[in-house]
Amino acid sequence: MEAKRRLIDDNGLRLDGRKWNELRPIKMEVGNLKNADGSAYIEFGKNKIVAAVYGPREVHPKHEVIADRALVRARYHMAPFSVDERKNPAPSRREIKISKVIKEALEPAIIVTDYPRTAIEVFVEILQSDGGSRCAGIDAASLALADAGINMRDMVVGVSAGIIDDQVVLDLDDSEDKEGSGDMPVAFLPNLNQVTLLQVDGIYTREKFQKAFELAIEGGRRVYEMQRKALNDKFFGGAPQVVAAEGGEA
Amino acid sequence: MPGDVIASGDFRYGSYIEKRGDQYVALRLGLAEVSSDGIRLNPLTGPYLPRVEDQVVGKVIDAPGFGWVVDINSCFTGYLPASFVFGRDFSPATHDLSTKFVVGDIMGARIESFERARDPQLSIRGPGLGKITSGVIIKMSPTRVPRLIGKRGYMVNMVSSLTNCDLKVGQNGVVVVAGPEEGVAKVAQVISMIENEAQGADLTRNVQDFLGGGEQVGSQA
Amino acid sequence: MSLMKKNYVVESIRRAQIISLLSQGKRVDGRSLGDMRPLTIKTGVIQKANGSSMVSLGDTQIVAGVKVATGTPFPDTPDKGLLVVNAELLPLSSPYAEAGPPSPEAVELARVVDRGIRESEMVDVSALCITPGKTVYTVFVDVNIMNVDGNLFDAASYAVVAALRTAKMTKYVVENDKVTATTERMPLPVSKTPVSLTIARIGDALVVDPNAEEEASMDARITIATEDDGNVCAGQKGEASFFTPEQVLQAVDTSIRLGKEIRKVIQEASA
Repeated sequence: MEAKRRLIDDNGLRLDGRKWNELRPIKMEVGNLKNADGSAYIEFGKNKIVAAVYGPREVHPKHEVIADRALVRARYHMAPFSVDERKNPAPSRREIKISKVIKEALEPAIIVTDYPRTAIEVFVEILQSDGGSRCAGIDAASLALADAGINMRDMVVGVSAGIIDDQVVLDLDDSEDKEGSGDMPVAFLPNLNQVTLLQVDGIYTREKFQKAFELAIEGGRRVYEMQRKALNDKFFGGAPQVVAAEGGEA
Repeated sequence: MPGDVIASGDFRYGSYIEKRGDQYVALRLGLAEVSSDGIRLNPLTGPYLPRVEDQVVGKVIDAPGFGWVVDINSCFTGYLPASFVFGRDFSPATHDLSTKFVVGDIMGARIESFERARDPQLSIRGPGLGKITSGVIIKMSPTRVPRLIGKRGYMVNMVSSLTNCDLKVGQNGVVVVAGPEEGVAKVAQVISMIENEAQGADLTRNVQDFLGGGEQVGSQA
Repeated sequence: MSLMKKNYVVESIRRAQIISLLSQGKRVDGRSLGDMRPLTIKTGVIQKANGSSMVSLGDTQIVAGVKVATGTPFPDTPDKGLLVVNAELLPLSSPYAEAGPPSPEAVELARVVDRGIRESEMVDVSALCITPGKTVYTVFVDVNIMNVDGNLFDAASYAVVAALRTAKMTKYVVENDKVTATTERMPLPVSKTPVSLTIARIGDALVVDPNAEEEASMDARITIATEDDGNVCAGQKGEASFFTPEQVLQAVDTSIRLGKEIRKVIQEASA
């Protein structure tokens, strides 16, 4: 049996050269798909993910209509070529589970009562997967929802933290997730400070849990700044979004 | 963007804004204006949600028997009852729907009613409403339509007279332009300018300059 | 009472406009009848896949990925590898696409793309054999439609061809009766660059590379694929109307002519 390799060396560097609290390189783009009401593309390390929003739109099948609010649906789907071994395109149980978790992470931010009897559908398509795809998918979906002009209380941002070689680290990639001892994806509303996704994988001491959790929140805030920049670049060309008009004060 | 604090203090405020304590928070991606009059958020993107009395341009997509199903570029489809067009004595036995509208026809319509649990009902009774038989269809973001219309119709009237075109503007973001080819092309470009309006730009002036305006039709020599 | 958005209905006045422009040799997006939309092809976009491509044809956007594995051959072709071509019309690609089992359009797309690759014999499946009757390479090509704006057949075909041409796989050898992976990487046994071209008939006009609106207004459609030497290797007519024999020949000639230019674009992207 192979000895488990070290994921973090004596200098505190991980396999890809990152320190314990470093995020992978992230790239974000808004509005990449023409047909969708809102869309975004994100690269999170080796993850390549497209998110699209259709809505509000008619509910199908009709009997699922909710009279006083929107029905929120999410579909997390991995392309067959997104992982090392080709994956059958039909949705797996894991994808169905993650779809539900993503819906529950995004829905609290959406003001569903503004859109009765409609559906708001979020699609997260993983073109290449490398650990932390559900959080990266949520980060992209949040951009797509804003792009679609859907009323939201706040943006949603997410990143994972976990434990490798007994150390708490931020943003686990695929090998760290598989070979490490704990993975904790967290998503939250950054202005309202409300956590909408938390999954705890592995065993944590109380102290390590707090450290990992707070690291995820802090890392998430950094990702939020990038979301802001992505929206700013697309819509405002980098200019400030609040203007004082006619002698008023911002 | 959603979640951003626009201002603190005590202001009047409009749609797409929520008051939390003494802070005013944006609920939508848009440009915020703060003045002594209050806080406004002009959304940059977003769907068309039907409101009663809105004038829209719709497309017939089905004629199931007692009326026409009309695509009004919204999450809800509109419905034009046959009785609104033929009269109270309408009956499928004696009246043929296709004599008035067939699938693919465009119409100017008004949202007559929009009750819970029912799709918006349309009416074509009114000046300028009814089947539209000619023109070029241009789609724009519903959130920008007020800019195309302008205060009390100033912008749309200016564009219309400077291009010699007739414009039917639907609140739902569907515009039908009829007139000479160059005029229609200019209107399309004006709509594009409105959609991409940069923050702080004087849109009215830019459009006027672009159309080579200055003199209005009928003004003094 | 509410109708599901099943099909894109083109407004009557828009259709009239399309036809009137066509009679002047022009199209609503400014193209002339024989013009393709801008075509961009990028390869190697998904590093975890053996091969991949992203194609934009106008606003139609497609991502294709190739994955190579080992598997058992079909009993009646023991010395041939397996080639599986699959196309998925993702629900995010269009307001008319739904999640769930593939619609008839999606199934037709998958079959046409599969047939185009198979019949052109672009991939030499005999060269994909490791141990006859026991182990062969299985090549999966998966096409993900990301945004629909007409002419999925051509865009998907270009994506598949580019992905296959640039794919690299691990070489397997037989050592001591065991199939083992080497560290050597080699390209797939790919020899040609078939190019597909789709033409739609709207009234009397033939237009190349129809966009979504033109497809919603068309009477009939024909797709012709040509090989590097200009020979026709696949053809398919679709939609419930006809082409005159002259139009068919015209379509073939157009496909041969434009096929040469498109082939250059694909080959440059897969260099």
